[in-house]
Amino acid sequence: MSLPIDKPFLGFGLGLRTDHYEDILRLKPKQIDWLEILSENYMVDGGKPLYYLDAIRQDYPMVMHGVSMSLGSTDALDYDYLKNLKALIQRVEPMWISDHLCWTGVDAKNMHDLLPLPYTQAAVNHLADRIAEVQDFLGRQILIENLSSYITYCDDAMSEWEFITAIAEKADCNILLDVNNIYVSSYNHHYDPVDYLDGVPVERVWQHHIAGHTNNDNLIIDTHDADIIDPVWALYEETAKRFGPVSTMIERDGNIPPLDALIDELEQARQIAGPYYQPIPYYQDV
Amino acid sequence: MSELRSLQRRFQEYLIGSSEAIKKDIVSTSDALAEHRLGTYFNAYRIRLLDCLAIDYSGLQKYLGPHAFESLALDYIKAHPSSHPSVRWFGKYLVEYLRSTYVHEDREFLSELANFEWAQGLVFDASDEPGLYRLEDMALVPAEAWPAIRISFKPAMRWLDLNWNIGPYWMALDGDEALPEKSRNEYPVRWLLWRKNRDPFWRSLEVHEAWAIEAAQNGASFAEICEGLCEWISEDAVAMTAAGLLKQWISDDLVERVDFQ
Ligand SMILES: [Fe+2]
Repeated sequence: MSLPIDKPFLGFGLGLRTDHYEDILRLKPKQIDWLEILSENYMVDGGKPLYYLDAIRQDYPMVMHGVSMSLGSTDALDYDYLKNLKALIQRVEPMWISDHLCWTGVDAKNMHDLLPLPYTQAAVNHLADRIAEVQDFLGRQILIENLSSYITYCDDAMSEWEFITAIAEKADCNILLDVNNIYVSSYNHHYDPVDYLDGVPVERVWQHHIAGHTNNDNLIIDTHDADIIDPVWALYEETAKRFGPVSTMIERDGNIPPLDALIDELEQARQIAGPYYQPIPYYQDV
Repeated sequence: MSELRSLQRRFQEYLIGSSEAIKKDIVSTSDALAEHRLGTYFNAYRIRLLDCLAIDYSGLQKYLGPHAFESLALDYIKAHPSSHPSVRWFGKYLVEYLRSTYVHEDREFLSELANFEWAQGLVFDASDEPGLYRLEDMALVPAEAWPAIRISFKPAMRWLDLNWNIGPYWMALDGDEALPEKSRNEYPVRWLLWRKNRDPFWRSLEVHEAWAIEAAQNGASFAEICEGLCEWISEDAVAMTAAGLLKQWISDDLVERVDFQ
């Protein structure tokens, strides 16, 4: 499979977490090709967060992942937030930045959750306009990520993959396809996750998340606090088959294991993707 | 867009706990009714903010115990919905909430404990600018300029006036050690919090040092600080004491710069 010229492939990465700061800085594990940071954690004035960020950035390419852009909200975009984000972009020089296909609050409130949108044409237009406005302000394309969701709205007029595709095409942005979230949402809403993969344009998918979750009776809750389960690995293999070389990282936010355990999981991802494309750049380095 | 806006308002009112009108917008399935599906968000909203408060106020949580802390947190979540893009600032009003609204026999102690913990957070990620001021840098001050020098402190330095013995109490809570007797001083004691080499420190101040730091912060010159210190220190020793304090502040990395013209 050939790589589209403008789609960088970073290899296999991890989310940078405070528990691993020292190990990453000291050991510089070469099995980690790149790191994703949670933007809001570094929108502070100084101290340890920025010290470790700057130091570790010397050793690894980074991408920035945010939770507060609230692209789907009907409030005006928060330009104070966007200005802070832009300053952090200048500091980190990330390969790209991403946020979610969600809203986080209205009337100037923040629920600090990634809340789903109705899959309607009106919402497509709204999101596409807002993403275009953000991209204009930041002077770069962004990636938008699919959510884990637990509800569907009565108003829904299309599937989630039609929704995300329509928005990405209209706003000319790229997609962070979270494989675990597809699995979780397909379980919660009873659809075939492979239909989702088949419905998303290959050239726009620049990054994958994979993660573990909690099965809470009839609903799966996306908790990022456990090992990745076999059905998600199987879906990741389907993803590798279809999308080819896409930068992949493991999201782990709770119950954080030692770095070695996550590196082992990362090796598993590399091996699963291996048959479908050359899993550079780690192997290229050695 | 008004349809989407009212949908979002209904959803948010549901999360905050003021209306259940959103239920009619959500599909129920045989395995999971709309209430159950929505309940996932209702609970997640509270759990996320509760976890955030438990990190920022870990000592308070240990003091109150998990149940009382949860009930306090839920009251606070209801009273102060977040309006900041970062959850880092969600707990900002808890000290004031404890002081003015919360009904508890230990209200003053609780709010001082919370204040001490919140201040530690502010010290943790305050700005590093503009770098280090060293003892050697004091050699740049010409002898005749000393009376007029003014001292600026780093953004990571803060102080609090506390009536209760919060420092030792918090340390015992944090280390899961035997708790000291709670005691309230007749006069508040000033506690200084700061950061050196990215690590947090704090200590209580004697009244003359507390006064000197506040005076310096308010722009007093070295000569003015000496003059004021005469209230506690004899006149022949006061310059030495003031120079000693400044030296201590510089070694503790409290000082941003010393200005002289
Ligand atoms: Fe994700």
